[in-house]
Amino acid sequence: MALVSGPGRAGSSVLPDELQLAIQAHVKYIQSLDTRRDELEYWLTEHLRLNGLYWGLTALHLLNRPSALPRQETIDFVLSCQAENGGFGAAPGHDAHLLSTVSGVQILGMVDGFEELEKRGKVVKVGGGEYRGKEAVGRYLAGLQNRETGTFTGDEWGEEDTRFLYAGLNALSLLGLLELVDVDLAVDYIVSCANFDGGYGVSPGAESHSGQIFACLAALSIAGRIDTVDKDKLGQWLSERQVDAGGLNGRPEKMEDVCYSWWVASSLTMIGRLHWIDGAKLSAFILKCQDPEGGGFADRPGDMVDVFHTCFGIAGLSLLDFEGLEEVDAVYCMPKKVLERILGPRYGEND
Amino acid sequence: MAPKGSKAPKARPKPPDPPKEYPTIADELLAAYQESRPYQTLAASKGIQNLTANEKACYAHAVFLETGAWRSWPAATQNEFWKTIQSEKIPIPLPKPQDLGRDTRGIEVGKYTPAEFKLYLRREREIEGLLGKTMGYLRAIMAAKEHSPRVLELTEHIISMNAAHYTVWLYRSQTLLALNSSIPAELEWVNNVALDNQKNYQIWHHRQILVEHLVQDVGSDEGKLRELGKSEVAFMKEMFDEDAKNYHVWSYRQWLVRKLDLWQKGEIEDCERLLREDVRNNSAWAHRFFVVFSNPRYCTEGSKATEFDGGIPDEILDREIEFSKAACFEAPQNQSPWNYLRGVLKKGGRKLVSLECFAGEFVKIPEKEGEGEEDVKSSHALDFLADAWAEKGEREKADRALRLLGDKYDRIRKNYWDWRRALLKSDGGGLGGIEGQFVVGAKLFGH
Ligand SMILES: [Zn+2]
Repeated sequence: MALVSGPGRAGSSVLPDELQLAIQAHVKYIQSLDTRRDELEYWLTEHLRLNGLYWGLTALHLLNRPSALPRQETIDFVLSCQAENGGFGAAPGHDAHLLSTVSGVQILGMVDGFEELEKRGKVVKVGGGEYRGKEAVGRYLAGLQNRETGTFTGDEWGEEDTRFLYAGLNALSLLGLLELVDVDLAVDYIVSCANFDGGYGVSPGAESHSGQIFACLAALSIAGRIDTVDKDKLGQWLSERQVDAGGLNGRPEKMEDVCYSWWVASSLTMIGRLHWIDGAKLSAFILKCQDPEGGGFADRPGDMVDVFHTCFGIAGLSLLDFEGLEEVDAVYCMPKKVLERILGPRYGEND
Repeated sequence: MAPKGSKAPKARPKPPDPPKEYPTIADELLAAYQESRPYQTLAASKGIQNLTANEKACYAHAVFLETGAWRSWPAATQNEFWKTIQSEKIPIPLPKPQDLGRDTRGIEVGKYTPAEFKLYLRREREIEGLLGKTMGYLRAIMAAKEHSPRVLELTEHIISMNAAHYTVWLYRSQTLLALNSSIPAELEWVNNVALDNQKNYQIWHHRQILVEHLVQDVGSDEGKLRELGKSEVAFMKEMFDEDAKNYHVWSYRQWLVRKLDLWQKGEIEDCERLLREDVRNNSAWAHRFFVVFSNPRYCTEGSKATEFDGGIPDEILDREIEFSKAACFEAPQNQSPWNYLRGVLKKGGRKLVSLECFAGEFVKIPEKEGEGEEDVKSSHALDFLADAWAEKGEREKADRALRLLGDKYDRIRKNYWDWRRALLKSDGGGLGGIEGQFVVGAKLFGH
């Protein structure tokens, strides 16, 4: 096999069939997603529309097909999801939610659309001030931070989760507005979620969970405080997520899954220990989850594909330096190139 | 499809049986698929080399047809090909049936009976129209800020079709509170929704809001608070009967323990019951750690899960150690109790060496290398011993254990074990010694 152990570079065109990435099929699959309006699934997932666009677009960028979705239409759709309070809803007319707002910001970032946000975004009036463009979005996000605990709520409903904290810092940093929130307090909260086994849970005392670990590490990376992590202990727990089939699971004794493979592998990357797992086995597992004809990735081999696992499958392969893919950033799950454009060329140079 | 009524050619495989009842729609679709490609099925069962000349020709044509290879031929050849297909009465192959996915309750649609599937398709179309309509209706009501009983009906209706709409839950809880509706009645309803929607987390947040209000209403009535705790725990048991690792239920439970002061009210016993059912249930282990080491009766306030706490009584530490030891004996390769054991030792400020004998029960390594085979019943025990030996300064023994792990007992993580060996050489310590050599710089932008 042409793959080297560890986070190696995947081999070239001499790869056997089952280790080939069906790039064309994946591009087609993602392009087809928005044309399925006659399917029930489309309507049942309306509350995920903007997230879905982020997943699809990220996958396309990593596949080196950034223009496979029309840029202007993408920007128009995102802006049409903006609510009066500056945040973004999942679809036009929906209430703003933190998770759709971060997707909106990430999409605009990827298609270089912040300028259009400045020009055409909602103007928000709060407390005598009038905010527009990035700042209107930033104010909405900052308003979701609990100034006593440092956490973020997803919406006015008040649900708190470390994922929300990460989403908040993610979007604010892309907007260049981190100073609107109390980053130190947020860091303290994450530190309080560290568990005896080295992992992190959704709240202090909650079971370690790969998805939550990703959110905590990414938030700490954005805050520049990855130094608070016990990297060896966490690295051991994370590397134990790899099962014999090569995939990674989210918790001990759970099934391996493509999305967890991304969360664990990106977490290991953030603490510099991706080489502790078998990269060749992992990429072979991810490739087995693709539908080489119809395109898309499923959670496990043989299951139904969806855009969520498609994004994380491709991102996982990119993390493992799979040939032909654009380099992904472990913290933002966006192309590194895009982040260098938004955050400056110095971004990520210490990797 | 093959023309009807014409006499089947001699070489034709046995015609399909008269219309058959299939147990599931997936079986029916598969059967139709196979019937549409009789020569491929025949070749697969007999082996291509055993086909008659006629069958072989038909098989080849069927394959050209199925793969679409004929499309790349010149027009004249294509015409010729279609004539042959007609004369050979080769049916047009159906596309391979796709996985039908799962319905909103998570049940595999492929397992429906064909009759159920028909109903499902019809219902799906109906819901599609209905959902759009009712959501539009709800949006109008929300815009008018109406909080009335019909909002409860409408949201109940929408949630029955799609429980993942956070806006719907939000508006429902606001309306409930505005109307001063009965919270116990709402909880009852929410129970059923939660049981039907195992993966939904909005429900659990909704529940938290409801219980928060109930606690306020009840005030300091100890008896009523106890009742509430009991009924909540009873409901969680129902949820755990479905999935004892449901993350949303467990995090809700931790919230509830803090809220209702349930630290000493059966939590440990419940964890034990679940671990008796499945000793590998990591969620139950995590909850036990939380309940034992965050209990405000004896834990030092603000002590983190990862650090020593001088407030923990010795008998509690001993009890936890004995409990995890028993679990390790039950399933030596189960990582949860081994992790737990390390966590307990850390909390109690005890050394790993204190359990060297115990871990040694799972590992027999001959004194000198080459003197017979080692016997390792648990890679976690070997890992534990490596750290215990490093703690004692027995570097060579520790190194041998780590080498065995990387070469034999946990090969998939060889790089990790190699790193541990390097660490051992560099400072002689176990895990948690020097900061890793692979430190990733903090992501800098303004920090
Ligand atoms: Zn998944």
